[in-house]
Amino acid sequence: MKYMILLYGSQQDYDLLAGQPTGKPAMSPEQVAAMHAYMGSLHQELDEAGELVDARGLTAPVHARRVQLRSGVPVVTDGPYPETQEVLAGFTVVECDSFDRATEIAARFVNPDADGEYVDVRPVLDSVDDLAG
Amino acid sequence: MTTTRPGGDAEQLLRRLAPQVLGAVVRRYGHFDLAEDAVQEALLAAARQWPADGVPDRPRAWLVTVAARRLTDLLRSEQARRRREETLARWALPDHGLAPAADQPPPVTDSDDTLVLLFLCCHPALPPAGQIALTLRAVGGLTTAEVARAFLVPEPTMTRRITRAKQRVRDSGVPFRLPPAPERAGRLQAVLHVLYLIFNEGYASTAGPDLARAELAAEAIRLTRLVHRLLPEDPEVAGLLALMLLTDARRPARTGPAGELVPMAEQDRSRWNPDYIAEGVRLVSRALPRGPTGPYQLQAAIAAVHDEAPTAEATDWPQILALYRVLMSLSDQPVVALNHAVAVAMVRGPAAGLELLAGLAADPRIATDHRLPAVRAHLLELAGDHSAARAAYLAAAGRATSLPQQRYLHARAARLADPTARAPVPDAQ
Repeated sequence: MKYMILLYGSQQDYDLLAGQPTGKPAMSPEQVAAMHAYMGSLHQELDEAGELVDARGLTAPVHARRVQLRSGVPVVTDGPYPETQEVLAGFTVVECDSFDRATEIAARFVNPDADGEYVDVRPVLDSVDDLAG
Repeated sequence: MTTTRPGGDAEQLLRRLAPQVLGAVVRRYGHFDLAEDAVQEALLAAARQWPADGVPDRPRAWLVTVAARRLTDLLRSEQARRRREETLARWALPDHGLAPAADQPPPVTDSDDTLVLLFLCCHPALPPAGQIALTLRAVGGLTTAEVARAFLVPEPTMTRRITRAKQRVRDSGVPFRLPPAPERAGRLQAVLHVLYLIFNEGYASTAGPDLARAELAAEAIRLTRLVHRLLPEDPEVAGLLALMLLTDARRPARTGPAGELVPMAEQDRSRWNPDYIAEGVRLVSRALPRGPTGPYQLQAAIAAVHDEAPTAEATDWPQILALYRVLMSLSDQPVVALNHAVAVAMVRGPAAGLELLAGLAADPRIATDHRLPAVRAHLLELAGDHSAARAAYLAAAGRATSLPQQRYLHARAARLADPTARAPVPDAQ
């Protein structure tokens, strides 16, 4: 069974990562390197265990475009999010035995130093038929 | 990091990479206007850092990374400002028929990006001055200050011109891709015209004390070479490159020791650039038989006939006249008609040429141009009517905007007061 672990971040979080203090102090190069090293080793471990399907990070929210139908016409809004709004920042898809195992994996994506930080884990549909009641 | 390269090499590398980097950033993130600013800043950062730290192993990737980071900052502050103003930037997709993607889009290359950029910068929605300025900055990699200097305008004026041009590109909503096939030929014509205007501005300055702003002509040749490399089979691209080379070949002989203008008939032909002539002749000889024959190929062919004549007297005027006839049938340009009149005069005598000039005086596009009385003066001089020629030279001098041209025309007029003066052969270019 496949599960998607969703990671969130705001534009401000991206700024901290890029070394720009915005309210909170920016991350130091060592902190950034440590985070990359941790994510790298975690994914490698999942890969070696045969549980990794895919993992992707998304660019900063300022680069997002929203396409919305208005009066029958698709209208594009550049950078539609307020800068503190948490939006999807990346995802990792794992394939494992149970939701509980996926939840264990997901727990390792939560930063232990940031109280309140969260990730979501959601079972992936195998096919549209799964939606049928 | 490799060892430091001399500034000139790094500068050339940056100019070559500029359109590739801008193409990569716009393709990925959009925002042509802000991305163009971000790339300029990345280029400036490289120009500062590379001479000291050495050129990075992957200079293009370095520039793309720095530009993308800078774009994020620019978007960040732009979006914050917009939100304070409580308006959001919304735009409608240009075609909400939502065209499906081509089945198998070919892989995108840097060359495609450079072409797309040229098409964007020379978009028909922009006025020519905006097209030229944007092309030099976004594709040529020149700074605003450099473009301003080349066009003898203050930097803030050029900044406004470029900003307005970019806003127009943005507002036009054209997607970052090659124009659809049916439009492409026409859009390429616009690109070539812009390159031609840049060359002309450099070769025959319309204002100011410097006759040939050689750097601008060199930049036009560099960009046209680039287009020729991207579209090697297009005969008009080859024709334009040939025309530029064959014209620029005469530049060393075109001004005298004091910076005065020397007409082609009196130029020291040993000072013409033989490499440019050889390359130009080769280009136009390959392009012409391939067809279709366009105005740039014909003008290049005319320039080649001049360049290949060992002396002014040996010029094959009947051949030039034949080429002008074909050119006139293709394009209704008064300057072409003017040069045609000169060729007629050289083949059939000055009276025949003067007759054609009389007809041209009614054309409002050239009626007030200094070239009309200047050519009339030359032909009158050839015909032996010195007092009328002198008056025409002075009339032309009064209309000319460039100092060297004014000085040349006044000198011609003054020579006619001297009865031993030799009649010149007019410059048909």
